Amino acid sequence: MTSFLLRRLGQSLVALFGVMTLVFFIQRLTGDPTYLLVPETATQEDIEAMRHALGLDRPLFVQYVDFFRDTLSLDFGKSFIQNVPVTTIIASRLPYTLELAAGALLVAVVIGVPLGLLLALAQKKFWTNGLMGIVLAAQSMPTFWSGILMILLFGVSLGWLPPSGSGSFAHLIMPSIALGLLSMATYARIMRSSVLDELSKDYIRSARARGVKTRRLVIRHLLRNSAIPVISITALEISQLLAGAVIVETVFAWPGLGLLTVQSVVSRDFVVVQGVVLLGALVTILMNFLADILYSFVDPRIRLDGTGG
Amino acid sequence: MNAFRKTAHRIAPLILSVGLIFTAPAAGFAKDLLTVNLVNEPATLDPHQQWNPDSYYVYRNIFDNMLTRDNAGEIVPQIATGWSQDSDTEITFDLREDIVFHDGEKLTAEDVVYSIERITDPDFASPQLGQFNKIIKAEALGDFKVKLTTDGPYPALLAQLIKLSIVPEHVASSVTSEEFNAAPVGSGPYKFVKWDRGVEVTVEKNDGYWGDKGPFETVSFKGVPDASTRMANLQAGTADLVVTLNADLAQQLESSGRGVVKNVNTERVAYFAMNSTKAPLDDMELRKAIGYAIDREGIVEGLLGGYPKVVDQMLSPAHFGWKDGMTGFTYDPEKAKEIIAGLGDDAKVEMALATSPVFDQRVVQAIQQMLTEVGLNASIEIVDMATWLKDQQTSNDQAPLLTFSRWSCACQDPDGIMYPLLHSSSAWSRFSDPKIDALLDAARGELDLEKRAALYAEINGLAVEKAAILPLYQAAIIYGASDKLEWQPTSNESMFLNRMGWSE
Repeated sequence: MTSFLLRRLGQSLVALFGVMTLVFFIQRLTGDPTYLLVPETATQEDIEAMRHALGLDRPLFVQYVDFFRDTLSLDFGKSFIQNVPVTTIIASRLPYTLELAAGALLVAVVIGVPLGLLLALAQKKFWTNGLMGIVLAAQSMPTFWSGILMILLFGVSLGWLPPSGSGSFAHLIMPSIALGLLSMATYARIMRSSVLDELSKDYIRSARARGVKTRRLVIRHLLRNSAIPVISITALEISQLLAGAVIVETVFAWPGLGLLTVQSVVSRDFVVVQGVVLLGALVTILMNFLADILYSFVDPRIRLDGTGG
Repeated sequence: MNAFRKTAHRIAPLILSVGLIFTAPAAGFAKDLLTVNLVNEPATLDPHQQWNPDSYYVYRNIFDNMLTRDNAGEIVPQIATGWSQDSDTEITFDLREDIVFHDGEKLTAEDVVYSIERITDPDFASPQLGQFNKIIKAEALGDFKVKLTTDGPYPALLAQLIKLSIVPEHVASSVTSEEFNAAPVGSGPYKFVKWDRGVEVTVEKNDGYWGDKGPFETVSFKGVPDASTRMANLQAGTADLVVTLNADLAQQLESSGRGVVKNVNTERVAYFAMNSTKAPLDDMELRKAIGYAIDREGIVEGLLGGYPKVVDQMLSPAHFGWKDGMTGFTYDPEKAKEIIAGLGDDAKVEMALATSPVFDQRVVQAIQQMLTEVGLNASIEIVDMATWLKDQQTSNDQAPLLTFSRWSCACQDPDGIMYPLLHSSSAWSRFSDPKIDALLDAARGELDLEKRAALYAEINGLAVEKAAILPLYQAAIIYGASDKLEWQPTSNESMFLNRMGWSE
């Protein structure tokens, strides 16, 4: 266990280092934010003064080293645009992203897992093709389109839900569905193939032969063993949800990190983008790590020290 | 351990479905709450910091400015009640004596002096520095009298002072800019209440305001980046006023009967710049051919819903110096083809047309198509806005050959648009002509308004004659509003809450 943890920690640090280096240099390849901050009529001196005030007149390597030094001392800098510490901005947006991710995950799991199970158990029924079609449609609909359709239907025409924004549970429903549908399809597909896989195994046949009732068979045996791929998918899906949130949050004006990312990338607010990407990398690494630990609880055959199995 | 595993097994699905975080329901829509949808939340509420519409739509209601423009666009008193030009470089302002900041302190000449010194301090690094750095001295001549000294005759001073918000010295000097931004104190018709970051800025009516009071008790400004979503909010009644719709959405809004379109032609002028210092555009005939090739009416009517107005000078009717009846290039593709045929292979060179996603790409593509139709070879080169801006503010040699852009100095003064785009010393200018340079310099320092307007008319005439730059149209801004909102949008893209009304 300890050697596993140490190894994962080492890998995580290397990954973080890589992510930070990439985000630092890629952003600086995409243009100089100074020009976006000064009025069009600014003179060359005004532009230089602003660049100096932002610290962008320092050699690139010096900026890079300072970035690491500051990050290690937990100083994430101030937004170029808002002149507010990045930590303040991210802290104000993070709860919204968590709410939305939780809502979307709930939609995805609550619909996707039973749907996958149903598709597997009722395999050769005529209506399963129809259901599978719905799953595929949910996965292939672009969220900016499904989002605006939902807004027009439920927000404007029917008036059941607030069209956009945040502040109440009702505000959370449409963005959660728009974002969750994508993952729902993934869950349904993974669950279906996982269950089909288990169904073909000997223990299921023996259990059936022993007269175990289908209901008990599914709940006690099948679900448990089919859960492993679902758990590992969840770790990936959380990162996917953060990425998908970029579009959903923009369409629904949901004030989370996705919207913040878009706004910061467009305005070349390097410091904020660095902060968000760093957080995203940490979350992804942590989720994968958690998934590994969860496996070992669900399936004792998987040992974290690598000696089992 | 086994029991623990069992528990873990049972709670695993629960971990997957992390409980929803419930928040308190939003307050119901009330008549005395006006909800405005901006594109983004403000960048700042410190009026001496970042300067963009999403910010000043909000903070201009929290602060009073030295001067303002009425709905007709005339410069009228606000904090300053009157002014006198003492010499070519000195001007004295009398101030209102009954203005009180939201914390109860009186606004005096010292606050005006402090505000000017703050915004022009190079260490403060205000993005607006260039708009005010011609003011070299500000002094209080009493509690309610201020004298400003400029570094030369500066007729655009009054137009610039419209953008100068006065901050209270006793607050702003004792906190950092960041703290001031988090809790701004002004003297305007609305008081700052709360900035829920990323969500909304709330302001409330200032009952002690010296001028017209606002009709709404509370106003909430929210950032909604997607234009279709902004319109949906308006139609659903969760927003009362939304900014920046395009012509298609405006048409949908009009036909839906849920809300009205409010549009105004701004001081933003769309233009087509040609790098006349480089071949093949150093040939005036080729530039004229481009002038004949572009169908401006077609662009305005066909693509932009007929909202903008075609102009033939590098000004709009919202600017000082606009002259009725000036003429420019009329659409005549046959004439353009004739000229281009006469120029032979010189005109066949591939020319880069620089653009960025910020600009309406339909217009850019239409212009490219029009140029292709008369036998020119323009290729669209799209880059991000920061890079586009950098490429524009460079030497003539490195600058792109062709550029479509829209310009506003937010001052409604010709110097703010014609000097940067036509004077050879400007990083933006792709044109160099000693006579136009001399006229621009003369107009910049001419305090006699009639003479000044005549100078700009002369420059605009020359610009057409030499095909120096092609003015296209005066851009429109389209707002969507509840049909109960009474409001006349203005050319300077401001949103003064105390000039609005509400009819049930």
